[in-house]
Amino acid sequence: MTPNAGGTAAAPVDRSRATPGAKPLLEVRDLNIAFDTERGQVRPVRDVSFSIYPGQTVALVGESGCGKSVTSLSVLRLIPQPPGKFLGGSVHLEGRDLLDLSEKQMRSVRGKEIAMIFQEPMTSLNPVYTIGDQIAEAVVLHQHANARQAIEIAEQALRDVGIADPGRRLAEYPHQMSGGMRQRVMIAMALSCKPKLLIADEPTTALDVTIQAQILELLRRLQRETGMSILLITHDLGVVAENADVVNVMYASRIVETATVEDLFDRPQHPYTEGLFRSVPKLGAHASRLETIAGTVPNPSKFPSGCKFHTRCPRTRMLAAQASPQDVVTINTGEETFPVLRRCQQDEPILREVLPLHGAACHQIAGYDVSPPIVPRSDHRREVVPQAVEEGNPEAIVKGET
Amino acid sequence: MSSQASAGAITLPPDRDARSLGPAAAEQRERLSAEPPRSFARQAVSDTFRRAGARFGLAWVAVLIFCGVFAPFLANSHPLLLKMDGHWSSPLLRHLTPADVVLLVATFSIVAALLARPVPKRLRAIAALAVIGLSIPLAIVFVRPPETVVFEQYRQAEREGRVQSIVRAPVPYSPTDYLRDSPEVRRTAPSRQHWFGVEEFGADILSRMIHAARIALTIGFIATGIAVVIGVIIGGLMGYFVGVADIIGMRLIEIFEAVPTLFLLITFVAVFGRNLYVMMVIIGLTSWTGDARFIRAEFLRLRKQDFVQAAVAAGLPLRSVIFRHMLPNGITPVLVAASFGIASAILTESVLSFLGLGLVQEPSWGGMLNQARAAGGNFSWWIAVFPGGAIFLTVFAYNLIGEALRDALDPKLRGIK
Repeated sequence: MTPNAGGTAAAPVDRSRATPGAKPLLEVRDLNIAFDTERGQVRPVRDVSFSIYPGQTVALVGESGCGKSVTSLSVLRLIPQPPGKFLGGSVHLEGRDLLDLSEKQMRSVRGKEIAMIFQEPMTSLNPVYTIGDQIAEAVVLHQHANARQAIEIAEQALRDVGIADPGRRLAEYPHQMSGGMRQRVMIAMALSCKPKLLIADEPTTALDVTIQAQILELLRRLQRETGMSILLITHDLGVVAENADVVNVMYASRIVETATVEDLFDRPQHPYTEGLFRSVPKLGAHASRLETIAGTVPNPSKFPSGCKFHTRCPRTRMLAAQASPQDVVTINTGEETFPVLRRCQQDEPILREVLPLHGAACHQIAGYDVSPPIVPRSDHRREVVPQAVEEGNPEAIVKGET
Repeated sequence: MSSQASAGAITLPPDRDARSLGPAAAEQRERLSAEPPRSFARQAVSDTFRRAGARFGLAWVAVLIFCGVFAPFLANSHPLLLKMDGHWSSPLLRHLTPADVVLLVATFSIVAALLARPVPKRLRAIAALAVIGLSIPLAIVFVRPPETVVFEQYRQAEREGRVQSIVRAPVPYSPTDYLRDSPEVRRTAPSRQHWFGVEEFGADILSRMIHAARIALTIGFIATGIAVVIGVIIGGLMGYFVGVADIIGMRLIEIFEAVPTLFLLITFVAVFGRNLYVMMVIIGLTSWTGDARFIRAEFLRLRKQDFVQAAVAAGLPLRSVIFRHMLPNGITPVLVAASFGIASAILTESVLSFLGLGLVQEPSWGGMLNQARAAGGNFSWWIAVFPGGAIFLTVFAYNLIGEALRDALDPKLRGIK
């Protein structure tokens, strides 16, 4: 598709599957999205590929503006067209390419096969209808239930997400509920039609920390019960650590690192991922200031050349300080002027398998050039945390029931 | 309303689960919140009613509606009950027109539907609509008032002593009863018999005003209704689809805003004759642009809102997204504009009637103003003041309602008091 697309040199060897027979539920390949703006075309999603297997939680991680939300919206084809358009790639759901479906066929996918929950529970519910009306509408549509059955299904959905007295809550309006309660309602609404894939776009960002943990636990429990897959969009590594099986780190509209959650937390390879980890406060660490990644995500209309991270990359700066002058160029970010490696400034790296099943896109990783290209498609599952530990019940562990 | 307010004062903090408070607390909470939760619309309506201006406005509109519906019973030369030459009759009921009957049936079925609380809401609405719908053909077929009307016959019979007992309407003159039997009352100032005076042809002004309330209300509601429907559809399409639809819609708005309504109306009346419905349609067709602009702006804001995105992401059809999820959240500015629009439609009709282009048979406030001016050279104040006052009060009342609605619906103005 594009010259930089992964897998042009040699077909990637597929060693990623723990269970050889498993087929991915969702398979996104070389997705490219462009928006026509007044200042020319921008590319919020470039050559993005990832797969989600049944029952798996895949996280898309990155700062605001790195393209993760556009990626998730494009799976449901919710990109406004125009100004947005698909430049290529495919989004296969159980073998069907969603990008080929008509708008009408797409409507039966939305809500029924792929559901979505949004970041802001305070504004994601329609203020003029009761909770029951809102859940029931989708149920009537997708499950061909009559009004009375729909209300029963809605009540059960509320009960499933742990809302007390669901029968009475059905008759309440969104403004009568707290943020955590509304996010539960959103989840109940999304799951009332039993979707195969749930897209959770920053599901806990707008919530209190204590409520965040409850909602994450709820998602884990519902996933266990229903076997659905989750595409988790977040910038919060804590959320990733708690829920994800496989993590794809996005930066400047591309995936720059892909790994299992354990691998990523043990051995982050890309300097951007390292930066994300350094900017998370650690318990017991005596740092006077929390580190940040200098600068901001570049605007898609003004991407730098070469590796999109080189303007903020501490690794290339450090290496450039020791490199011979012909390998170094000096760049000016507008705020400061510093040397970076010429290769980082000129050549955009692709995802390569720098460690087993662990892909990263950075020239400055040892052995990067000899590693094969990799497409993020691991069907890895994290080790199931024993439920007793999860529920915070230490006695159960002491008794040795786990 | 007051019982809801007192129940609201002692509810528990909203974000504590009944579960966490134990069964007793849950039970208590159950009892406290037995009152059904209030929707945004209910809240807005009760906020509107709380304002003195709105109360006055609504009271005046209620008076007008009452006058409009019961006009034949309030002002009529035909007695309600009459015992003449030994037998009873009700000339008033016999002279009711099909329109009178349909209006009465509609009013009573709406009131009954509103009062029959135990019956489910949908059933009540269907029943009321069915009764109204049935009454229209039945009234046209079976209600046949006598074609020749002699208003003087009752007064003459009374003078001749043939009437044993009579029950009259409060204003015992029909609007088209020109009192041919007493020409001396023509253009006389208000008196005990004629509270608001008599116009140049001998008709009672109060009676004409009561009957004209119907036209004022109809033209306001129907013309504004047409404007709102067109404005909502065009504005909604513009705001939802943006792009080309928006550009075309905007040009359409500009074209229609350039049409001078009054001159168009005058031209139409000159060509096609005087017809109230043509007037309503033309006023409606030329006054939707403001509503379309409001809806467009609201939809542009709403389409980016999470709950609209969520509705689309839930696979709901376009019809539901636009009409169920976006429209109720964006209609409020149009409601405000509509109440001002009713006022301006009434004014337009008055202006037209004043210019002598209104209806001939039916009385209208604007037409009466014209009579005051044209009344044989010298100005008769009572022919001008009462209808003029009614126009003023009606326009004022709708403006007050519109303003109160705007204040109640605008979240920025909420809670400032």
